[in-house]
Amino acid sequence: MSSSVNPARSRAPRFAEAAVARARLTVVVPRHAQKAPRVPFLVLVSLLLVCGIGGLLLVNTNLQQGSFTATALEQRAHLLDARAQSLQMQLARMRTPQRLAERAKRLGMVPTSNPAFLRLADGKVLGDPAPAQPADAFRIDPPPVPKPADLNPSPLVVTAPRGGATGAASGDHGSAAGTKKSQHQRQGSAH
Amino acid sequence: MTQSRPPHPGRSRTRRRRSLRGASLLRLRVGFLLIAMVVSVFAVRLFELQGIDAQAYAARAQAEGLVHVTLPATRGSITDRNGIPLAESVDGEMIVADPTLTSAHAPAIATILARQLHLNYFAMLQRLQAPDTQFQYLARRVPAAQARAVVQAIDAKGFSGVTTRRDPLRDYPAHDVAANIVGFMNDQNQPGDGEELVFDKWLTGKNGRATYTESGGNRIPLGDNSVTPPKPGHDLHLTIDRDVQWYTQRVLRDAVEGANAESGSAVVMDVHSGELLAVADDPTYDPNDFTAANPDDLGSRAVRDVYEPGSVEKVLTTSALINAHKVTPRTKIVVPPVIKSSDHYIHDDVAHGTWHLTLTGVLAKSSNIGTVIADRQFRPKQLYDYLRKFGLGSPTDLGVNGESAGVLPPWRGWRQINQDNIAFGQGVAVSAVQMAAAVNTIANGGVYVSPSIVKGRAKTSDGRVVGSDTRTRHRVVSAKTALEETRMMEAVTRDGGTAPMAAIPGYEVAGKTGTAQRVNQQCHCYDGTHTVSFVGFAPAEQPRFLVYVVVQNPRNGGFGGTTAGPVFKQVMTYLLQKYGVPPTDVTPPKIPLEW
Repeated sequence: MSSSVNPARSRAPRFAEAAVARARLTVVVPRHAQKAPRVPFLVLVSLLLVCGIGGLLLVNTNLQQGSFTATALEQRAHLLDARAQSLQMQLARMRTPQRLAERAKRLGMVPTSNPAFLRLADGKVLGDPAPAQPADAFRIDPPPVPKPADLNPSPLVVTAPRGGATGAASGDHGSAAGTKKSQHQRQGSAH
Repeated sequence: MTQSRPPHPGRSRTRRRRSLRGASLLRLRVGFLLIAMVVSVFAVRLFELQGIDAQAYAARAQAEGLVHVTLPATRGSITDRNGIPLAESVDGEMIVADPTLTSAHAPAIATILARQLHLNYFAMLQRLQAPDTQFQYLARRVPAAQARAVVQAIDAKGFSGVTTRRDPLRDYPAHDVAANIVGFMNDQNQPGDGEELVFDKWLTGKNGRATYTESGGNRIPLGDNSVTPPKPGHDLHLTIDRDVQWYTQRVLRDAVEGANAESGSAVVMDVHSGELLAVADDPTYDPNDFTAANPDDLGSRAVRDVYEPGSVEKVLTTSALINAHKVTPRTKIVVPPVIKSSDHYIHDDVAHGTWHLTLTGVLAKSSNIGTVIADRQFRPKQLYDYLRKFGLGSPTDLGVNGESAGVLPPWRGWRQINQDNIAFGQGVAVSAVQMAAAVNTIANGGVYVSPSIVKGRAKTSDGRVVGSDTRTRHRVVSAKTALEETRMMEAVTRDGGTAPMAAIPGYEVAGKTGTAQRVNQQCHCYDGTHTVSFVGFAPAEQPRFLVYVVVQNPRNGGFGGTTAGPVFKQVMTYLLQKYGVPPTDVTPPKIPLEW
């Protein structure tokens, strides 16, 4: 910085010293140094900052809360939807012709064998009405499933020999009758 | 700045310092070089990350916490003509277990499953304790509400390891009703047969997609969020009436079992629109439990299987003859006990002496010989052309899986025996729906209406548009001929005809029986078994419905009139009652059967 001093200035003539002194620049000191109060400004800025951050937080929290509610409600809607569907499914199954026919049959109803109509205009009967007969009924259930051969063995016929052996066998059987437990106990005691 | 200022030290010191400074300079330079190398490695990496792979990394960063969810489209329902569902999709879930977590509490969990879902306790116990696995199915295709309730109950007891996953459920509420037509969805959720298969593309919707950022199971509100809603599939409306279908199936099953028959089919048709109100087959199956079904029963026999129709075909032959002015219902025919054809002899079902029958009598008593004598006035091409117009030999184009066109051999190859046989329904093969549509021509005043099973229109997966909107009509015989043929068919259900058991008191019923020899697929010969059938429509003066019943191989020795006739009567009675069709007061003239 020192090298940047203007050399012309130092070589200025001495005769105009007073003028030079007069012309020398001085710092103007304002008579009333009016300092703006800093506190309100700081308060304002802080307030803005706090409000901004707080507001943002509030909005975010609110949105997030909304998201939780949305998820919960969505799940509930799904659940109710599934419930409605399965109820509808049950209803559809209750309404099938097979079920209705079974209930009608239990009430002793049979299908009509002679369609006949009553014309309301003149009270005339169209067709040959005949009372329903039990014979008009037909089977509406599927045929019973035949038992597999393994579950339906042909009966084993054993001819009991006549004599003393029969009495011994029946006596043994009689004492063994009862629960499995007693049989086990009997076997245990025999060993 | 200070470094650049030249120092002024002594000479000797300078030398020492210089050597020292040289070493430190070297170190510095080496150091700088090393740093430069490291920094350039970083720079290269930085360039790689920011310049080259930037997109991929940005995408990866985004994907963190991003959830893609497929929103499944609902498969369309299949409904009957009144909109009652025959097949519908329900939210379903599978219940799966991780045996490493469940084996400790297996009995308690199995008890809950057995009680709430009626599953086998011991099977559950085994699966919950399966060793060396972390995945076991416990139950599949459980309605979502039920599945979640069960898992909640298990969780509430503090047991972990049982979870649910999506498993779409296709429910068939009416069980076996129209199962042969509707088809089923297999356990892979793929269509197995029937309309489910034919209209798969129509029924399947388009899955949607949701993408959002998620944290802890909740959406992040300001994160990425995009939803493409799913497009549900179309519904398919059939012309089937569920109640009629059920009734027909039960009556048919009763008859097939009563006759100890191999199988049976019944077709119910609306005379004017050609819409099929019922297409019943027996035996059939429950699509909710398709694995238990016999694979032969899965399709629809009424559209798939072809057989020789037998005497029912005489309706077509005689009406063609009347229309061509070759005969009238009163034409007198002398029917010998037997007639020679090429090098064969043709007999009637019942042995008889020489009969003096009118054409009406020939039809009423179902005489093969009488029909052959009348038909010999036709050249082969004439008969062939009429039968083609009645729809024989061409597919019905209903939009059902495995439709058959039947077999009508080209007339150029016919010998005398071929034409004679075809005249009374042997040597020609039809499907039940085809034959019903052919006879329906007579009921509909001589105009053939193409049958339909889809109400409105729908597009099959192979791009055909089918349905009642695309039905075609063409005249085959004149209205007068149709009326005369109807009069002749009325004689069949009266005393003296072959099917008095098909008569409905109070109504005039036009019908025709059929008893045909069956071809055995192994030996390609007639093996002595029969196809018995009955076709009829009522009320004869103003036909509303046509019912065709076919029973294959009745082992009780039944005929068309005794086995299929009663089925016709029961189904037709139900139809007339259900749709409120009163009898007409008209008493049609009776044509003599003999002379």
